[in-house]
Amino acid sequence: MALNSSLQQAIDKIVEKTEKEILLDLKNSVSDSKQTLDDSLSKLEQEYDKIILDGKKEADKVEKKIIGSSELDVRNKQLLLLEEGVTKVFSKALDQIANTDRSGDYSNLINTLLDEATKILGTTKVIVFTNTKDKDVVQSALSKFSGSELSSDTIDCLGGILIKSKDGTMTFDNTIDARIERLKPLIRKEIASTFGVGN
Amino acid sequence: MTVEGGVQYSKIAEIKGPLVVVDDVDNAAFDELVEIETSEGEKRLGKVLEVGNGKAIVQVFEGTTGLSISGTKAKFVGKVMEMPVSKEVLGRVFDGLGRPKDGLPDPIADKFVDINGEPMNPEQREYPKDFIQTGISVIDGLMTLVRGQKLPIFSGSGMSHNLLAAQIARQASVVGTQDDFAVVFAAIGVQYSEAEYFRRSLEESGALKRSVLFLNTADNPAIERIITPRVALTVAEYLAFDLGMHVLVIMTDMTNYCEALREISAAREEVPGRKGYPGYLYTDLSTIYERAGKLQGRKGSVTQIPILSMPSDDITHPIPDLTGYITEGQIVISRDLFRQGIYPPINILMSLSRLMKDGIGEGSTREDHSEVANQVYDAYSRAQEVRALAGIVGKAGLTEIDLKYMDVGDLFEKEFLSQAIDENRTIEETLGILWKIVSKLPKNEITKIKDKYIEQYYKEE
Amino acid sequence: MAAKGRIVWVSGPAVRADGMSDAKMYETVTVGNAKLVGEVIRLTGDVAFIQVYESTSGLKPGEPVIGTGNPLSVLLGPGIIGQIYDGIQRPLRELSKISGSFIGRGITTTPVDMTKKYHFVPTVSVDDEVVGGDVLGTVKETELIDHSIMVPPDHPSRKITNIVSEGDYNIETEIATTEKDGQTISLKMYHRWPVRKPRPFKSRYDPVVPLITGQRVIDTFFPIAKGGTGSIPGAFGTGKTVTLHQIAKWADAQVVVYIGCGERGNEMTEVLVDFPKLKDPRTGKPLMDRTVLVANTSNMPVAAREASIYTGVTIAEYYRDMGKDVVLVADSTSRWAEALREMSGRLEEMPAEEGYPSYLASRLAEFYERAGRVRAAGSPDRDGSVTLIGAVSPSGGDFTEPVTTHTMRFIKTFWALDAKLAYSRHYPAINWMNSYSGYLTDTAIWWSKNVSKDWLRLRGEAYGILQREDTLKEIVRLLGPEALPDEEKLILEVARMIKIGLLQQNSFDDVDTFCSPEKQFKLMKLLVDFYNKGQQAIREGATLADIRAMPIIGSILKARMDVKDDEMSKLDQIDNDMQEQFKKITGVKVIN
Repeated sequence: MALNSSLQQAIDKIVEKTEKEILLDLKNSVSDSKQTLDDSLSKLEQEYDKIILDGKKEADKVEKKIIGSSELDVRNKQLLLLEEGVTKVFSKALDQIANTDRSGDYSNLINTLLDEATKILGTTKVIVFTNTKDKDVVQSALSKFSGSELSSDTIDCLGGILIKSKDGTMTFDNTIDARIERLKPLIRKEIASTFGVGN
Repeated sequence: MTVEGGVQYSKIAEIKGPLVVVDDVDNAAFDELVEIETSEGEKRLGKVLEVGNGKAIVQVFEGTTGLSISGTKAKFVGKVMEMPVSKEVLGRVFDGLGRPKDGLPDPIADKFVDINGEPMNPEQREYPKDFIQTGISVIDGLMTLVRGQKLPIFSGSGMSHNLLAAQIARQASVVGTQDDFAVVFAAIGVQYSEAEYFRRSLEESGALKRSVLFLNTADNPAIERIITPRVALTVAEYLAFDLGMHVLVIMTDMTNYCEALREISAAREEVPGRKGYPGYLYTDLSTIYERAGKLQGRKGSVTQIPILSMPSDDITHPIPDLTGYITEGQIVISRDLFRQGIYPPINILMSLSRLMKDGIGEGSTREDHSEVANQVYDAYSRAQEVRALAGIVGKAGLTEIDLKYMDVGDLFEKEFLSQAIDENRTIEETLGILWKIVSKLPKNEITKIKDKYIEQYYKEE
Repeated sequence: MAAKGRIVWVSGPAVRADGMSDAKMYETVTVGNAKLVGEVIRLTGDVAFIQVYESTSGLKPGEPVIGTGNPLSVLLGPGIIGQIYDGIQRPLRELSKISGSFIGRGITTTPVDMTKKYHFVPTVSVDDEVVGGDVLGTVKETELIDHSIMVPPDHPSRKITNIVSEGDYNIETEIATTEKDGQTISLKMYHRWPVRKPRPFKSRYDPVVPLITGQRVIDTFFPIAKGGTGSIPGAFGTGKTVTLHQIAKWADAQVVVYIGCGERGNEMTEVLVDFPKLKDPRTGKPLMDRTVLVANTSNMPVAAREASIYTGVTIAEYYRDMGKDVVLVADSTSRWAEALREMSGRLEEMPAEEGYPSYLASRLAEFYERAGRVRAAGSPDRDGSVTLIGAVSPSGGDFTEPVTTHTMRFIKTFWALDAKLAYSRHYPAINWMNSYSGYLTDTAIWWSKNVSKDWLRLRGEAYGILQREDTLKEIVRLLGPEALPDEEKLILEVARMIKIGLLQQNSFDDVDTFCSPEKQFKLMKLLVDFYNKGQQAIREGATLADIRAMPIIGSILKARMDVKDDEMSKLDQIDNDMQEQFKKITGVKVIN
């Protein structure tokens, strides 16, 4: 009996111990899973927050982008419209020049253009080109520039002259077209300011 | 400058590399703009490099491909190259020579400005000292950028310098001011995708309308790259000093610029300096970098972040070397950190901001900033030494204090250096992390910080 | 007769003009319609090769070139101090009044204010015989500078026929006349002197007095003497400019000439902002009152960069002739050499190493030869000195490149900046193994007389510790620090302390930025004593860990920042505490 009871005691002890262990294990696993659940919950919350935040960031980005782009679009449309206006004014002005009366002051203008051009080339021994309309005016102006001659070929331009050295290596374009081209940026600014744009 | 001009010459003596030699020229000025007309009537731009004895040597920006001795004409325009500037350049895209690339008309100029600029009178400069918060800890904390500074990024091929520069462009702000800012971006021979990345990044942050883009991509003419940074800086100077804006200029990649310069020098058969680059590379680069700054009595500023890729990651290569001698510090990207996946992969020991000392401290960041930054530099430098040693003798051969420094190095890279691409940290957060790192060290090791700051900020865990 | 020619060729800063047979070598000319300033650097037939000191953009063949008949000269007289000049002595402050924030071209203005009145006190009288270099009288130029008005050096011996009485005059006033054989010379408060010609003096002395810079690694380890030459080479980012600024701020000189030669614009601005605010530690007056700046920044015309060095050194010699100690700092001589190279290339000369002209070495030698401690010409007797310190910017940090190697031949103090030290934020990043000073033994006499007779011995001991550390580091690199016995570990430990507590110096710390000779000596002594006590303690049974744990270490390392120059007793206190703490650690061991 003594043996029995001591055996019994031992068994009881083992059972008790095992029981405890099992209980503890259970307890642990319960708390573990609870922890896991908590963790995943908070993770989920974080994830959720992050999604919201990311979404907000993305939305911000899109908003900024849209606002920025649309402001820019409006501005760019303005620029295009303005340019359209400038072009219109320009072509009207060119038309007027092309159709100016070739008498009176005009021969003075041709004279000035020739004078300037030959000075820049450094010689009056040049071949002069012009369009059909200006041919006569130019011809009569050439007498003052010794050695110059009018080419029989005509060029396509609004008016004015183009000169070439006799060996053909130097050219100076003093047509009205070329002069306007050189001044174009300034003229554009003038026109734009009448539209109330520009600084 | 305006000189009489406009004569077209047609006697071409020689065409070599990017150069055209025109004969029988008696009316041309040094530096004058030249319009080259091909026999097909195509027009290209160039400038006079040398003139005299009836000859003019012209450098053609768009290259000489397709030019012939007969039929090519050169018109000397009578002025140096100019860029039309006005407020309307904001939000626009130009090519590498400053011509519209966005389908819109030429800007209506407020004025035309010589793209070479003029040297700022050093007596008229205002010493840069306004802290720019980039929101990137490693920059704000250890290599602070200030308004009017030129701080390049030294990188290597394929690394994340563009991400970094774009993040700076998006986040840069000066705390407590409402002044106008603008971004000028010059792409110099980079891939289209890189340029596009910048454009998109600016667009997404809504900054495109405050930006001006100059794009010379890899497929554009190489010699044009000589001009790209200059037109960009001309616009930047106008926005800054005429309109009072704070302008951040990003130029990438300056290595391509230098290569274009070398190409011209070689074609002129000049005596080369190191690695075939011309002897005047330093002087030439300075005429770009020195255009950063602030001026007395004017509101705006020009801050430059040039990006260059170091050939074979070699910092002693003439391009980074001469750049470093001109710029006010450098941000060095490390291949090693990049491989480890760290962003931004900045090697802090090789990086430096010379103007940091005046941009930080009481009244701008915090009074302890300089000292805590020095201590962290010191600690990280020790950490690197210990790491190298550990690689040879193993951890067992290290002292206890050595091991502590190793931990500090790891913490630094993990928590301070590493940062997300859209993470914008305040300077307080940045300083907080610096103190967290310093607090890992025993107090006896802290030799660069005054006791009063240690008492205030040191927190042992 | 002045030459009148015509431009025939332009390429960058180089211009050729014909019709120049009347021009002289190194004559100043005006170039083109814009009247740019240039200098003749070669004559071939009637063609002059001209280097132009301003941007040549827009210059055309055919434009005129006119000679001035004079070589490139500077104006020397009161009003120079406190100025900032470009490379050819144009005052940048005045230029900005004419051309605004950016530097325009073709502007002429006088280097000093010709209308400002100075109080002149004559020191000679009528009938006195005077010769070049003699002092006629003095004016107060700034609070710090008593300016001697001297007879121009090339003036022959003559009698004074007239001298103004004490009073206020502007510098254009005729203050004296001299006469011989009916020929009168009028003397003003200023004269001009050609920059490429050294100013004459009576005799040279050996430089034996140290120039105290307040920078420990310089004064204590690699000193430079007054009238000596020094060079500071270093890759970018190694702190060249900061070190030079420190010397310019704190050196015990009466006049400082700072040449920014091809360097950053902001660095000159920094000097202009800082120096008026900083006080000279010896006189308490603003540092700007003794400083002259010559600024030809990197983006300014390259030819004027070449001239800036000569402009600066001529001004330095002028103040030397008054009997002053002058320090000239040139940052950077490499950019000057590059300017030489660029002009040489345009002249199509045969290049030597790395494209530099073959005369690079002789030009460097000529420049450094203008340093010296001298007895000035004329009477009364005056001794002055010009100390020349040149920065070198070796490409790629490579000290074997031509400018560094040639410079090393002509200088006696070499402060080698080290990128590795800079990367680890050890500033000033002067490498103690590669630097040297040829003035050490000569200047030791001064230290022994003025500070302590132990100076040279202690300096040797401190340097010895650093040398031994250098050898031990090799072993550590292979085997790790734990492989060393404690006494050798102590060497590493104390070497580290010397680096932190003595060699490193924080220029931006109010206290540490300048260190008096006495404090330098005491800090050094503290560290050497610590080492000796430490070795003794180890012999007596203490461990390195015991020594490392001594709280005094922190105080020693921070003393450079914590102890002001007028609180030397604090250092004695640290010394006492150190002795006590050593007693404690060895005492404990004995009981055990």
